[in-house]
Amino acid sequence: MKNSNPQNLKLGIFVILGIAIFVAAVYFIGNRQNLFGDSSVITSVFKDVNGLQRGNNVRFAGVNVGTVQNIRILNDTSIAVSMRIDDRTMKLVRKNSLATISSDGLVGSMIVNLLPGENDSLASKPLQPGDTIASISKIATADMLTTLSTTNENAALLTADLLKITNSINEGKGTIGVLIKDEEMANNFKQSIEGLRQSTSTISRMVNRVNVILDEVSYKESVAGVLLSDTIAARQIEGIISNLEISALQISDVTTNLQQFSYDIRQGEGALDYILNNPGAVEQLDATLKNIEEATRKFDENMEALQHNILLRGYFKKQARIKAREETQMD
Amino acid sequence: MKDENTYSSFEKGKPVIKIENLQKQFGDEVVLNNFNLEMFENENLVLMGKSGSGKSVMIKCLVGLMEPDSGRIEVLGKDISRLERTEMDELRAEIGFLFQGSALYDSMTVRENLEFPLRRHTKRMNIENTDELVLEALESVGLTKTIDLMPEELSGGMQRRIALARALILKPKIILYDEPTTGLDPITAKEIIQLMKNIQKKYKTSSLIITHDVDCARVISDRMILLLEGTNYAEGTFKELSTSEDPKIQAFFK
Amino acid sequence: MAENFPMATNVKSFFTEIGSLSRFAGRFFKQLFSRPFEFREFLRQCYQMGNKSLLLVGITGFILGLVFTLQSRPTLEEFGASSWIPSMISISIVREIGPVIIALICAGRIGSSIGAELGSMKVTEQIDAMEVSGTNPFKFLVVTRILAATLMLPLLIIFGDFVALIGSALVENIKGQVSFLLYFNQVFDALGFRDLLPATGKSFFFGFAIGLVGCFKGYNSSKGTAGVGRAANSAVVYTSMLLFIIDFIAVFLTELIYG
Repeated sequence: MKNSNPQNLKLGIFVILGIAIFVAAVYFIGNRQNLFGDSSVITSVFKDVNGLQRGNNVRFAGVNVGTVQNIRILNDTSIAVSMRIDDRTMKLVRKNSLATISSDGLVGSMIVNLLPGENDSLASKPLQPGDTIASISKIATADMLTTLSTTNENAALLTADLLKITNSINEGKGTIGVLIKDEEMANNFKQSIEGLRQSTSTISRMVNRVNVILDEVSYKESVAGVLLSDTIAARQIEGIISNLEISALQISDVTTNLQQFSYDIRQGEGALDYILNNPGAVEQLDATLKNIEEATRKFDENMEALQHNILLRGYFKKQARIKAREETQMD
Repeated sequence: MKDENTYSSFEKGKPVIKIENLQKQFGDEVVLNNFNLEMFENENLVLMGKSGSGKSVMIKCLVGLMEPDSGRIEVLGKDISRLERTEMDELRAEIGFLFQGSALYDSMTVRENLEFPLRRHTKRMNIENTDELVLEALESVGLTKTIDLMPEELSGGMQRRIALARALILKPKIILYDEPTTGLDPITAKEIIQLMKNIQKKYKTSSLIITHDVDCARVISDRMILLLEGTNYAEGTFKELSTSEDPKIQAFFK
Repeated sequence: MAENFPMATNVKSFFTEIGSLSRFAGRFFKQLFSRPFEFREFLRQCYQMGNKSLLLVGITGFILGLVFTLQSRPTLEEFGASSWIPSMISISIVREIGPVIIALICAGRIGSSIGAELGSMKVTEQIDAMEVSGTNPFKFLVVTRILAATLMLPLLIIFGDFVALIGSALVENIKGQVSFLLYFNQVFDALGFRDLLPATGKSFFFGFAIGLVGCFKGYNSSKGTAGVGRAANSAVVYTSMLLFIIDFIAVFLTELIYG
């Protein structure tokens, strides 16, 4: 085996290179998980971790400073999340910090954010290994927005129902058809309007809750970071909320109109008489329903804007569009 | 069916190989049936038979590559069925084996091929200079120049000669030839046969030659055994057997 | 039996094959730990399998990373998730595609060459010649080859993964304006030990399977040149199938362990 020496040399180079790549990969991965270097464990208890997993990143002021080490369910409302934090960062994080779970982008994995807290008495002390820090949940807001949007959808459906009825009146389907359906129609009307009123009240309740959150945002600047990345967004949201309120009020007005209208029908001697006596009645009804539709649509748009703002912080590209919308709203 | 009357007047030395009642079958096919053989020192014994008559099986049983179903094989006074692996390897060092198709290792050079049988025995036999042995073996087959070539670069005849050199590199007492001339043209076959005779003289080995080549048998044999249907049918010198009137014996020499 | 029930014969021969393969594996382990160890032949085989496959694995890996990234880009861009390419590509390459593709390539290259080499050695009586020369051919030929394949495959797979990621990074660099530093930063952000370690673990088994089946088929090759061809061919076919079975078991176990 004369040529075995250069062969062994090449083999040796190959083997060492392969092992080196492997070791480098292990090192880099381990480095990300803070396995090497000094680190300490802190804990925070959440109500809901929203799909957080072991190994997810922990961020402090937007910098990755550690990873989630373990997630334990303590009981049905508290879940303990222990995090491994780089020791250099530990000195900078205060005892009063708050932990919050959020999503890293639209389809991103979950992350834990560490935020400066509001409890001043603890603000001067740095975090110690083994400490438990308080948590705040952002998930409630997301839930609320979902409910709002469902309510709005319901309102839209009801409007569509009402439109159908007016259309059939408009098309006249013959006076006989109206006469026959008279009683039934009145009932339908009543149900639809009742539903619409409920929706509207839900909407206003929701709007009130959003307002409460917004108040918190403006009063407690520290917590604002949870929901918003800066005050511009806060102002935007305030604008949107006021629009929402306007929309809700509009819907409410329209509903009152409708109620009046249906009351008229019932008081009159049936629809036929009513329509005969009031030639403008049908047109009036039509206009009312159009108003409802318009209000609902605006409500919808505002909802969407709000969701973008809260779920996706830093969604400022839409800023211009939102402003334009606000202006049309003012007109 | 042994024909004791045709036995030759060859002068017997000490027996080196003794096979008694060898039996071997593959499935239902009986390959060797009550086969007996005795080979003596410095003798060239030719075992002749048609292909498929069990010659190769017998020779493989002799070096422990196959195990017989029953029977006794004694090589250099040792019963091979009783040997441990290391003892068997030691015994194998005393036996050179020339395979049918040369069986040179394709992935090794001629030098490595010749060194291969030495590698297990360098310590035990106090071999210090393998190069010397390799060169000596190559010299005796007249192919010293091929030492760094690969087997595939050699002609069939040269390969056979290298294989022969490999078989005798440990200076064995016995050399087994499994069809030494198959696959070679007549002229090369003659050269190989001549080479076998020379080596015989030089190394003073006993040889067991398996062949169906009549020319080979005539030139090299001191004594012959004819193998028919798995058993030894006749025994004698080439002259005795080739002039036999038994039609079955005559069939071997056609 | 054989004529009347070809299925039964097939099933029987299948189990016989599995049985002999297991015995062969058992023989390997038994001989692995007994002296002597053919170290020089082992190194030679490592060189033959490792270094000689390097170019093939490198080219395959590079193109794999390149093509995989090019093909995934449009879909991910549609979702506006092209920033996910490094993590997605690296996880799928390191976990699954890299090991399996490279093992299959090696089954083709290493497995068939072992099958053909041992097959032709068997047919031309070279294995017998070794035995007669006082060398245990199983140790010299089989143990060294299986061990070399077992140890070289993980290295080849790591190397292949690495080259594939370089290929992928190149595409991202040209098409997506992602620097190599950012690319690999994101890769190591996405990769965890649960990606790297099980994949490396199973690559040892891939190598073992390639060596084992190649040697088994070659060592038990039937007579004649057709037998050698069959040995090489069936070594590749059986190995490829075995690779997927091992992969399945490995993924299953990984799921079980990491849950």
